[in-house]
Amino acid sequence: MIAYEKSDSDVAVIIGSGAGGGTLANELCQRGLKTVLLEAGPHRTAEDFVNDDWAAFEMLSWLDKRTASGNWRVAKDHPNLPSWHCKTVGGTTTHGSGCTYRFTRDELRARTVYGDVPGADLIDWPLTLEELQPYYDAAERKMGVSRTNGLPALPANNNFKVMYWGAKRLGLQEISTGRHAINAVPYDGRPASIQDGFTISGDKHGARWSTLNVEIPRALATGRLDLRPESRAIAIEHDEQGRANAVVYVDADGHTHRQAASVVVLAGNCVESPRLLLNSSSGKFPNGLANNHDQVGRYYLRHVVQTVWSVFEKPVNMHRGELMGGLVADFARHDSARGFAGGYYIELNAMGLPTTAAFLNPGWWGRDFANVIEQYAHIAGLFMTGEDMPQANNRVTLSATEKDAYGVPIANIHYDEHANDLRMRNHGYKTLTAIHKAAGALRSIESPAYPASHNLGSNRMSATPEEGVVNRNGEAHEVKNLFIADGSAFASGGACNPTLTIVALAIRQADFIAARA
Amino acid sequence: MKNQEDRARQTATGKVTAYKDPNLPTPPAVSAGPDWAQAFTTISRQDAETLRAAVATLYPHDALDPLIYRRVIAQFDRVAAQSREAAEMFASFCARLSDGAVLPFAELAESYRVQALTNLETTPAFFFVQRLAVRYLYDDVEVWAAFGYEGASVQLGGYIKRGFDDLDWLPPLPNEI
Repeated sequence: MIAYEKSDSDVAVIIGSGAGGGTLANELCQRGLKTVLLEAGPHRTAEDFVNDDWAAFEMLSWLDKRTASGNWRVAKDHPNLPSWHCKTVGGTTTHGSGCTYRFTRDELRARTVYGDVPGADLIDWPLTLEELQPYYDAAERKMGVSRTNGLPALPANNNFKVMYWGAKRLGLQEISTGRHAINAVPYDGRPASIQDGFTISGDKHGARWSTLNVEIPRALATGRLDLRPESRAIAIEHDEQGRANAVVYVDADGHTHRQAASVVVLAGNCVESPRLLLNSSSGKFPNGLANNHDQVGRYYLRHVVQTVWSVFEKPVNMHRGELMGGLVADFARHDSARGFAGGYYIELNAMGLPTTAAFLNPGWWGRDFANVIEQYAHIAGLFMTGEDMPQANNRVTLSATEKDAYGVPIANIHYDEHANDLRMRNHGYKTLTAIHKAAGALRSIESPAYPASHNLGSNRMSATPEEGVVNRNGEAHEVKNLFIADGSAFASGGACNPTLTIVALAIRQADFIAARA
Repeated sequence: MKNQEDRARQTATGKVTAYKDPNLPTPPAVSAGPDWAQAFTTISRQDAETLRAAVATLYPHDALDPLIYRRVIAQFDRVAAQSREAAEMFASFCARLSDGAVLPFAELAESYRVQALTNLETTPAFFFVQRLAVRYLYDDVEVWAAFGYEGASVQLGGYIKRGFDDLDWLPPLPNEI
């Protein structure tokens, strides 16, 4: 592997190797750019991965302490782990469920279509669907998304049969096994799924696309990528003209380095990216880099996600097979008659016994809980992911009192649910429960959201610097050569799982950066 | 593959055969005898008995082998050995459960044990113990086997030929799916 000099000022430095950073690294290398990829976590591979809920969680997750505030249930249930993302080469693509859906035209024009939602700070994306479409096409090709480019759908599993018949009996129309970056047949050097049920635990079998198993090896094959695992970025620097020009990071041995850069790209997920900007203050940017308009860290989104688990008379065995191989899209549109703005998708949810017990209703104990969990093999799961409303005070901030081992203040995530979010939650719970009831459920449990994995919006993309941090290319309004390539750049949340859009935006960003280089 | 299969810890004592990933360390062994907590490094024998009774009250599964609950407390002892803060949480939890009680917690009737736990529900120590109880009890391969969770599968070729679509109590799916 090539090793660039720390003083080499014509390298692109990317912080974070997940869906945004890992994809961008490969796309830049393919376009001939010298690229350094800093990843806080180690370089594990499929050899290291295990088929085990907790062992995988503890191996892959970003477990550094955070705090949470606000009226969201997560602040009570998971006060020091409000967000669930990964610290390993491949980032959260080692954990993603493989669901790969596109934003709709309306979602990219949320402010225009939904109108003025009181208390919400909606904006339209400074990009149109037409501009994004070629990049969605490219993302689907590289990820091998089922039901696109002639690739077959994932086969229906037990949990899907329950979803299908429940939804069908309710008269719902748009029911399928969905679209996933998981192979139903061998594709692009990866095997077909063996329905092992551990996609989100690293996916040891490797049927699912990830930056670990696709983008990063291909970037390395160009000879242009300098991958540096266990390299913890702590600050970004700029030159006298206010252009980003270096990243300060700490290696596994605790040594601090300064890597010069022609461009700096932040892709550390929606807590670490704003945290790094807020920790990078200077005379020009006293409140954090690119934050002279006080936008960094604001409008944090985490989607309206929740699960209904239902007990049936006969076995379901939801743990067998791909975890989220089902989709009901009937509610994935804006319909003001429902009493809330935005839409939601219904997907399958399945977990092993260990995490089902942990997330069923954290804090629940006693004989009633015991009775439910004993029927694990008879439980089916339905998940929803819907659009939450951006609010200026839902934000990532730095602790005034507590620092981590690197001397960087720990992050707090504040999130208050908007009335619109709560109306959608109610609609969703009732719908999910009705689907299971129609399939014969004896009892349904409305589970709260677990730590956020659809983290979005904390450095949002906007037409003007008064409304967000980055422009339509993901470059900071205030700091030339500083880019964001993760979900924090989303202008609004949309309803669907965000990975496909993160990948599409990263490919588009690579075109922009390469054209300017 | 065959080798891995052989090495995989499995238990067939429950209603299904459950597998722990072959690459994971084995859980701590516990004794079936009366002095089961004597080898613990951090948690006292008395607190071990209190914690065992607390976990069995929080998550009462009468059909499980009682040794499983002891194994949870052995995991607690490992956690306590690695963190002074954790050790203090366990000690504080046990002290509060015993505070003012007419009998040791483990000797109380179930309704009194439930009441004592309910009284602690809002404390950090309760939060800590309750979450760790879930973490370790439902991660025990014998519990998996008892409740029908088969666990690790990649070493067996996944579930593609082992029932991922065998649900037969609903009508067959139409072909267009």
